[in-house]
Order: sequence, then structure tokens, then C-alpha cells
Amino acid sequence: MLEIKDLHVQFNSRDHEAVSGVTLTIHDGEILGLVGESGSGKSVTAMSIAGLLPRKQCKLSGDVLLDGQDLLHAQRSELRRLHGRKIGVVFQEPMSSMDPLMRVGTQIGETLRIHQPDMPKEERHRLVYEAMRDVELPNPEETYRKYPHELSGGQQQRAMIAAAIVSRPSLLLLDEPTTALDVTIQAQILELLKKLNRETGISMLFISHNLNVVRKLCKRVAVMQKGKLVETGTTEDVFFRPQHPYTQKLIESIPTRHGKEVR
Amino acid sequence: MKYTIRRIWMLVVTMLIVSFMTFLAFELVSGDPAQTMLGTEATPEQLAALRHELGLDQPFFARYFRWLGGFFTGDLGSSYIYRQGVWGLIAPKLSLTLLLALISFILITVISIPLGVWSYRFVGGPFDWLRTTFNQLCMAVPPFFVGILLCWIFGIILHLFTPGDFPALRSDPGGALRHLLFASICLCIPRIAMTVRMMRSTVIGEMEKAYVRTAISRGNDRRQVLTRHVLKNSLTSTVTFLGQTMAELVGGSIVVEQVFGIPGLGRFLVSSISNRDYPVVQAIVVLLAFWVVLAGTIADLINQRVDPRLRLGGGAK
Ligand SMILES: Nc1ncnc2c1ncn2[C@@H]1O[C@H](COP(=O)(O)OP(=O)(O)OP(=O)(O)O)[C@@H](O)[C@H]1O
Ligand SMILES: [Mg+2]
Repeated sequence: MLEIKDLHVQFNSRDHEAVSGVTLTIHDGEILGLVGESGSGKSVTAMSIAGLLPRKQCKLSGDVLLDGQDLLHAQRSELRRLHGRKIGVVFQEPMSSMDPLMRVGTQIGETLRIHQPDMPKEERHRLVYEAMRDVELPNPEETYRKYPHELSGGQQQRAMIAAAIVSRPSLLLLDEPTTALDVTIQAQILELLKKLNRETGISMLFISHNLNVVRKLCKRVAVMQKGKLVETGTTEDVFFRPQHPYTQKLIESIPTRHGKEVR
Repeated sequence: MKYTIRRIWMLVVTMLIVSFMTFLAFELVSGDPAQTMLGTEATPEQLAALRHELGLDQPFFARYFRWLGGFFTGDLGSSYIYRQGVWGLIAPKLSLTLLLALISFILITVISIPLGVWSYRFVGGPFDWLRTTFNQLCMAVPPFFVGILLCWIFGIILHLFTPGDFPALRSDPGGALRHLLFASICLCIPRIAMTVRMMRSTVIGEMEKAYVRTAISRGNDRRQVLTRHVLKNSLTSTVTFLGQTMAELVGGSIVVEQVFGIPGLGRFLVSSISNRDYPVVQAIVVLLAFWVVLAGTIADLINQRVDPRLRLGGGAK
């Protein structure tokens, strides 16, 4: 279980807090949606969970607890042991998020190499193939030896997901993982995430500014505006009985074809 | 493999074009070599005889291909001044210059790559200005000045070598190498500074890329991010840069050979130009061009090994 309590993030170069007072809980096995307009602080929230914020350039306060362990103020070395092992991250641009000169299979197995350096190579390969099968990458043996530029965008994102889950973390942070993909691929990736969640019970934080996507995937959703959490609730409640005017505006801005359906 | 063959084919074509342009250019500027060699008092019979001896009575293309073949057979005609075979004159000097370039290149590579990566540690730190200043100093000081300084300290005071008196490579290889080593130090200093600066900015640029964030999110520490990901990604620009350096080293050695008194190609080229010894100049020009094109080709072939994206059909992207 991940608990965020009164999280504040202030970049030294900014006047306003990027995140001001966010309190959130992600239960075990849950997919929580996080929506909000551009610049509302969704990525910063996720990055502070993942410990990826440049600590020298910002002030952090509050608590981020993963199964009771403090992530926000943990030592760097301690965080590194959690990275990839307990928390997996998938970013928006699969192409640029992958090392262009490293074989796809090696990248997928990287967390295993880092966190279990004594693991025999054969075992590592077996786990990589397993993860590749989990994310439904075609021809695992062949794909293992390919380089990122030889994969399609959808396959790249599948490989990124495989790399994030290969060490079987308990939490997966997905920062707009489908935004860069076209609609059909996007739908496939959403199906995949649902399946992974169902089969492995991994909890997920799914960030998106597309409410429709969130509605398909998440039971619970949180809405952010200007660094603040304005509304949290079940997807049903937030969509059909939005409490906050900002949420109402977000819902209205969904294209009408879907808008009718929503109302 | 296909790429390798294509790249070598490109090298051959480039060299053919360069050699042809050179031959044509010298054909136009050199006038009548027989006249030049014999002077104004020569009789027409003497001129005709020499022209026949030099093969000047042959048609242009026949002469071109004979000369081109000379690069493989070693018969590049004879010098107007020394009345000797050009190849025999150039070869010992060429080997000295290449040796100087090679020593310098090795020094540059083994010193600047670790230094470049290491200097990344200081980015934004309190001593960064010191590093920048030192780096700029190294680039700004002209090699001939460093050369004079080195000659004075290590030659005149410490007697580690005798400036101006280059020992023969055959009889005293140790002494010759020592002499070359000091010359190459002087040749290297600004280039090491340039390479370090280039590496540093490449590493800084790579560190900003998204894959670095991914690497961190997987649990790599700073050192692992560098060694596993960033270094390899910085390699192609470094190799390209070093390829250019390799090419420029030969030209850059002219001044240094002068200061240290090394009887290399640079000095010979300068004196041959002022003597209008065209067959010699012509051969050196082509050899230097070949050196430049070869260095670029080798750099490209290495890069294509490193970066699979360069192996795609077009070679671009
Ligand atoms: N490294 C940084 N330095 C300074 N300011 C930053 C930094 N990263 C983010 N910010 C600021 O923090 C605020 C929140 O940014 P964030 O990236 O979390 O938005 P977001 O909700 O993810 O938006 P988007 O939908 O565009 O991804 C923005 O105002 C942004 O400019
Ligand atoms: Mg974002």
C-alpha cells in the first residue's frame, strides 16, 4: 500500500509549489487514475513517489510511505534498492526512454542484473522471456536481440512495461504511457495493463489527461489542479456526480460523442 | 558488412577524385618540368630527350594512370631538385610523421577519454571554473610556444633529447622515440583539452536524455548510469571527433617538426613547396588527403559497429 500524506514540492526556480498538500492512498492491487490539465503536478507527484526528483533543486515535505517505508526522505542508496525492485516506472515516450544502443532484452533484464547480480544468466533470461510473454511481445527470442529502433511504438511501450515488471514490483507508476501512441495501440496497452493487474495483483498509478482512458481502466480516480488535489472518488462518482467545478469542466471538455455517453 | 563494403568503395572513389584533381591542378600550374629542370640554355634536343625520359610526351590520361599506379608500385616520378625517386625521398619522412601522429593519437585517446568522463563530476561544482580556465589555457597556448618551452626544459636543461638533432630511427630507436615523444606532448596538449571539453559536453547532453531517467528508475547509481548507458552513447561523437583529430594531427605536425628539428613530412613539404618541386608536393598532397579520408572512414566504420541505427540501409538516421 502506498500512502502520500500532505506532499509539498517546491522547485527552487519557481514561485508556486508544483505540488501543494496532496494526500492520496493507493491500495494493494488497485489501479488509481490521476488526471488533471497540463502542468497540474501529476508527473511531479509520480516522480516524488519514484524518488526521481532532483533533490538539490527542490524542497520536499510530507510523507510518502510504501508499505510503511518512507520514500521521500530515504537515503539515495536505500531508494536505489527500491527502484525497479519495488517500484516500476513507465514513461510517456517509449522511444526516447529506452537506451538506443542496448538490446531490448538486456534492457528488460536490467533490474534483475542490478538487484540480483548473483542470479545465473539462464535464470535471468527465463524471467525476461516470461515478462515478454506477459506483455505479449511477439517472438521473444528474436525481440530479445533487437534494438529499440527496430520495434514499433506499441512494442517499445510493451518492452518498457516488461522492463518495469520483470522484478515483480508491488507498484507500477505509469506517466501517460499511452499518450504518444495511436488509438488502437492505446486500447491494446490498456487491455494489457488491466490483464497484468488482474493476474498479478500489482498496484498502479495511472496518469493521464484523457478522462476516457482513465474511465476504462480505473475504479478510483484523483483529480489535480494547480498542484492541489481537488477531488478523489470512485470513477462512477467523479464522472456522474462531480463535486468540484474544475472536474465538471474537465468532463465537459471530453469530445461530445463520448460526452453524451458520460452524461 | 554491406555497409563496410560501401564505405570502402566510397573511400576508393573519393581518392580517385582527389588524385585526379591534384594531378590536373599540378598539370596546370607546373608548366614544362623539362624546361624547369634544364634551365633556359637547354637545346630543343635536350628538352625533347628529357621530356621523353620523364614520359611527358605521353597523352594526359596515360600519364595520370601511370602516376596513380605509382602509389602502388612506389614509382612516383623523380624530384626536380634532388633528381631522385619521389617515393624514396618521402618514405622515411612519412614514417616519422606518421609515427609522431600515432604517438600523439594514442596519448590523446588514453588521456582525454578518462579525463573527459572524470571532469563530468565537477559540473556545477565549486572547482568547475578552475577546470574551465585550465582547459582554455591549454587550448590557447600555441604548440610552437609549448614546443620551445619543452625543448628548453627537457632538452637544454635536462638533456633528455637534443633539439634540432634528431637521432636516426635505425641506429638509435630509443633516442628517436624519446625525441618524438616530447614533440607529441606539445602536439597533444591543445587537442587533449579540446577532446576533454567535447567529451564533457557530450556527456552532459546525454545525461539530460530520457533514457537516463529510465536507468535511474531501474536502480542504477550515478556511476552505473555513466558506465552502462551514457558512455556508450557518447562514444560515436567521440570517435568522430578523434577521427578528425587523427586527420588534423599530420597537418598540425608541420610546426612541431620545425621546432623540434624532426626531419618529417611537414618540413619536407614546406621546403618542396618553396622549391617548386611539384612531383614531391603532388605526392604529399595525395598522401595527406588519403590520410584524412582514411581517418574519417575508420571513424565511420567504428561508429557503425557501436550504433546499430547507423547500420540501416541508407546510413543516415
Ligand atoms: N525540474 C523542474 N524544475 C522546475 N519546475 C518544474 C520541474 N518539473 C516540473 N516543474 C513544474 O512543476 C509543475 C508541474 O509539472 P508536472 O510535470 O507535474 O505537470 P503534469 O501535470 O505532469 O503536466 P503534463 O500533463 O504536461 O505532463 C509545472 O508548473 C512545471 O513547470
Ligand atoms: Mg507530466
